[in-house]
Amino acid sequence: MGFNNPNFLWLLPISLLPIFLNRVHSRKYSWVSMLPHDPLSNLIGLLLKILATVALIFIILGLSGMHSSQQQVERIGVGAQIALVLDRSASMDDPFSGTEGHVGETKSVAASRLMTQFIESRKNDMFGMVSFSNSSMYVLPLSQNREAAVAAVQATAGNALFQTNIGSGLTSGISLFNKVEDSGSRALILISDGGGRIDANTQQKIRDWLNQLHISLYWIVLREPGGISIFDTNYKEPDGTLPPEIELNDFFKTLKSPFNAYEAEDPKSLGVAIADINQKEKKPIRYMERIPGYDYTRGCYFLAALMVGLLLAVKYLEVKSWH
Amino acid sequence: MLENIQQFSYHIGWRTRGRLAGSHVSTQRGMGMEFRGHATLLSYPDPRRIDIRQTIRDPNEQIHVRIFNQKSATPVFAIADLSGSMNFGSRHRKIALACQIAESIAVSATRNSDPFSFIGFDDEVLENWRTTLSVRSHHALELIERLKHHHSDSKGSKGILDLYRFLPRERSLIFLISDFHMPLELIEQALPLILRHHIVPVVLWDSAEYKNLPDFGISSVVDPESGEKRTLFLRKELREKIFNRFEERRKIIHNLFMRFDMPPLFIEGDFDANVFTEYFHQFVVA
Repeated sequence: MGFNNPNFLWLLPISLLPIFLNRVHSRKYSWVSMLPHDPLSNLIGLLLKILATVALIFIILGLSGMHSSQQQVERIGVGAQIALVLDRSASMDDPFSGTEGHVGETKSVAASRLMTQFIESRKNDMFGMVSFSNSSMYVLPLSQNREAAVAAVQATAGNALFQTNIGSGLTSGISLFNKVEDSGSRALILISDGGGRIDANTQQKIRDWLNQLHISLYWIVLREPGGISIFDTNYKEPDGTLPPEIELNDFFKTLKSPFNAYEAEDPKSLGVAIADINQKEKKPIRYMERIPGYDYTRGCYFLAALMVGLLLAVKYLEVKSWH
Repeated sequence: MLENIQQFSYHIGWRTRGRLAGSHVSTQRGMGMEFRGHATLLSYPDPRRIDIRQTIRDPNEQIHVRIFNQKSATPVFAIADLSGSMNFGSRHRKIALACQIAESIAVSATRNSDPFSFIGFDDEVLENWRTTLSVRSHHALELIERLKHHHSDSKGSKGILDLYRFLPRERSLIFLISDFHMPLELIEQALPLILRHHIVPVVLWDSAEYKNLPDFGISSVVDPESGEKRTLFLRKELREKIFNRFEERRKIIHNLFMRFDMPPLFIEGDFDANVFTEYFHQFVVA
């Protein structure tokens, strides 16, 4: 039980006023002791006071915004716990090389389209989401709420910003799993357009955490037209160093936890990715669903209105002409 | 103003001891018409009243004088209850009705050349609402006129026990005006204290109290004296109950006053002085 404006509760003593105060319209009668005791009249008198008091109590409770606290309910479903880590760096605004009839679409729009399809195809999964550019942005905790997941993904289709800091995105993505009970099937899907180096410290951190929390990593690369394929092991920069995406791929391959990489310009490849995940991540998961608190304000006002209505009805019955 | 006040005629069934000349039989010797007996001229030296026949018949040759009782005035009191319940009333408040009655008594007493005094009481006898005995009633009438607009609240009527201290030793005619909405024990205690006087209990009830109740509805009522609150759901059943309760009370009050040999006079609604005249013809032996 909680209150939005608990200060209004200080007014509660006011509701006792009807008990102590006389009614304004009470008449002077010469000798009340002379009137015979009438249980029905006494009952009505008591009810009127209670009615007025209760009406005031409900109005004050309504003002104070009474609501029940949020509750957590344990649900059991079949599926995976999936964290989506989306790249929001400036390069995501570049055109996408995919050939599925969406010509000239940017990578971020493509990513959100693909991920929406993906989420729609997975009925029982829990989704969480983190996006990142210069640093990570916490978007959605792991939850069963599909609408929220779809909305979060679609919200990323807007303008992108800054650069790519995959390390930060990955660490926050992994941290989503921290607070959630392990269902035995955890996947982290990284969607990026390749690039980005990770320093040794973060690499170690990512490696340890993925291992500890039993998370399998799926990397879906969105390639620019004419970009380098991460599977092209022969490619080397002119100065002899490896391009960042290939380097990253090499790092991921050294992880102790399962890792798969896909290139999204190929629908088949994406299909394989989803099939893979479908196949691998199918265990019963237990999770807590949060149910928001119920707002009693409306009920309070309704009851108060009812009481006041009854009082008005009594007012209508009141004796108007005695003398 | 004075012409509008109704008058009634009253008499008393006992001998007053008042010395002032008036219109009631008294124990005072004087220039009256009521023959008391004979005395010798030496003991009652009034040669105008020498009874020649008696003087001749007396073997001792004493001169005899006839003695008469004069008619005397008797003090008349109007004592009004000014407690909270007297504020009630449908057309006039009971206090206003009591004032009307008191006015009528004052004027009637003055016409009979009886001294009049008004005493008001609630929980105590009120010095502000009291006049001394006087054969000129103007002061009392003025006071009563002011009293018509008096509102008394949350006061009971315990002052009835103190009344005897404000009444003369000689037997007087007292109109005790009240609704007698007070515990019976209080009346029972108070009456013996003033029993030396001739008391006419005037019981003021209002029809709105018990007869002309609203047909149906809810009302909350407050007692002006005790502050007791009650909600009433008026309906046929309760109306009948209230009516019966008051009729019962009427009997009880009647019996109580009859025990003290003072028939009560119930007044309800408008004041009619003839009712008082009839009361005296009916209940007081001339």
